[in-house]
Amino acid sequence: MKTFSGDALTRQKWLPIAIANAVFSVLLAFASPAFLSLANFQSMLVQSAVTAIMAVGMTFIIITAGIDISMGAILFFSSALFAQLMIDTQSYLLAFAAALCCATLLGGINGLLVVRFRMSPLITTLATYSIYRGMAIHMTGAQNIPVPREMGFLGNGRVFGVPVPILILLVIVVAGVYVLNHTRLGVYARAMGSSTRSARESNLPTAPVTIMVYAIGGFVTGVAALILLARVGGLQSGIGIGIEFTVIAAVILGGTKLTGGSGTVIGSVFGAFFLVLIENGLNLMNASPYIYDIVRGTVLLAAVMVDRLSVRRQQKALLAVKAARFDQPQSVGSTT
Amino acid sequence: MIKALSESVQTRPVAPVLIALFIGFSLFSPYFLTTGNMEALLTANSVVLIASVGMTLVFLLGGIDLSISTVISVSAVVSGLVMAGTGSIWWGAMAAMSVGLSVGLVNGLLIGLLGLTPFITTMATQLIARGVAFVLSKGIAVQGTPYGMLDFGFLTFHGIPAVTLTALLVVAVCMLLLTLTDWGRHVMLIGSNRNAARYSGINVRWVEVSVYSVSGLLGGIAGFISIATLGNAIPGVGDTLLLIIIGAVVLGGTTMEGGEGSIGRTVLGVGLLAVLISGLNLLGIPFYDQLIIQGLLIFLGTWLAMKLSARRH
Repeated sequence: MKTFSGDALTRQKWLPIAIANAVFSVLLAFASPAFLSLANFQSMLVQSAVTAIMAVGMTFIIITAGIDISMGAILFFSSALFAQLMIDTQSYLLAFAAALCCATLLGGINGLLVVRFRMSPLITTLATYSIYRGMAIHMTGAQNIPVPREMGFLGNGRVFGVPVPILILLVIVVAGVYVLNHTRLGVYARAMGSSTRSARESNLPTAPVTIMVYAIGGFVTGVAALILLARVGGLQSGIGIGIEFTVIAAVILGGTKLTGGSGTVIGSVFGAFFLVLIENGLNLMNASPYIYDIVRGTVLLAAVMVDRLSVRRQQKALLAVKAARFDQPQSVGSTT
Repeated sequence: MIKALSESVQTRPVAPVLIALFIGFSLFSPYFLTTGNMEALLTANSVVLIASVGMTLVFLLGGIDLSISTVISVSAVVSGLVMAGTGSIWWGAMAAMSVGLSVGLVNGLLIGLLGLTPFITTMATQLIARGVAFVLSKGIAVQGTPYGMLDFGFLTFHGIPAVTLTALLVVAVCMLLLTLTDWGRHVMLIGSNRNAARYSGINVRWVEVSVYSVSGLLGGIAGFISIATLGNAIPGVGDTLLLIIIGAVVLGGTTMEGGEGSIGRTVLGVGLLAVLISGLNLLGIPFYDQLIIQGLLIFLGTWLAMKLSARRH
């Protein structure tokens, strides 16, 4: 029984963060009776929606052993494009389509550059981060642009009593889980992350897969941008600065390895929720907002340390098993 | 002569670009080549220069130190508070260096001994350092910088600011460490072939711990210098620097994969970005277009460095 639970913990990568979420929720429920209401959970889910949606895309990228530092810039670019087009054309259809297409395109360009120039994804997307952000501010002339009031529906509206951001998050998660686990793209992405060389040598289409995962990252960032814009009420210059690190933190907390090859979409969403949960807890304690960074960093460190120690223990256990197997034939020989 | 020239261009492709930009800006803007502008340029980039040297060492090892930007912030804040409390610049300097060294040591122990991924580890310590900087300073610039510190920021020797000379001293010491000591050779070897380094008996873990510690220490020194150049210890000072630091290092031609590059190249990289930003400002190019140009430059520069290095091997 004990080995089963240990096995499940290591095999289901999202289980540890799910348990952490549950434990922390129970603790907060004891600390404050107001915590355990449906309304509070809904509001926390809505708060985590933007990060969680982006984390779904980042999971795909990190599973291929890539990374996208430019996600915050794509977020800002598609927000800016949407707001600017709404002002210029007043056409929702055009603005929505353009924002989503552009976000996907910018993500795809990241993938294309990584494939074509074979530079580290970190440096490549660091460069595009600067370029995309510059282009977006150039486009809007560094102005804050409000979006129409109806737009608020995306951020605060409800369908059948469920907040719209949660519904969108649900759709993205279901699609993400499906693509990662049940399509060739998902399988190839994992294979590339485990070993780029083996993937290339077994003739997997590594280039298209790389471009696709970055494009997926761009697309979900576009979706997140629309929700964020709706919630904030307009384009502000600070949108998206540093969000890529929060998203990466969520993915890592969710049990996805930065070295690629393994990870789950569900885990990343739990990771994003956990970050909001911490914030909620700190709010309950009336902590200074400056402490958030310290707690977030500490939690991230603790998560990777626990993970690392468990991997070490596993390796030791594996070695012990191997050693036992090595000993066995001798003992068999002695009995006969 | 021509062969030697072309060889030096191949190993330091940034140098001719830097010279060309320098001449170009001097021709296009009458204000570029003035003592005032040069002093401002040197002063403003001393902090980045010191931190970039730290990042270069970590890159040469094949790692990354994302925390160096906010190590600058937190050591500046602590140093500012100590100086405001004691009125002593020396205590302030000691405080900044010990804060930087401690964060670097933590990074090093986590990465070197525990085997954590450098990216995540330093991302986490970046957050923690930033949080501590903002908590300690309550989010505002630390008041009460001693006058001696402000004088230090304005002090010049023959037109070269004292802060820049300090930065150059740090550069020189690190260069000597890297090229003349066993430690430096070990850093380069670990970066280019980790397993070979381990099998040849180098204590890889210890070298890793020491490199991240040095990087932290340099972050601390950079934080202290930032007080002199800005006049106050500002908790958000490091937030925007990370991109410039990494950009300068890779633009200089030190690759993230390790083993390839040098501190000298990083100095050129920092110089290139500094001249570019100053020149574009004088030409009236808005900051957002500068972002685009910087991004393109980082991309093309890294690509070019990679191509040239592939041709050399």
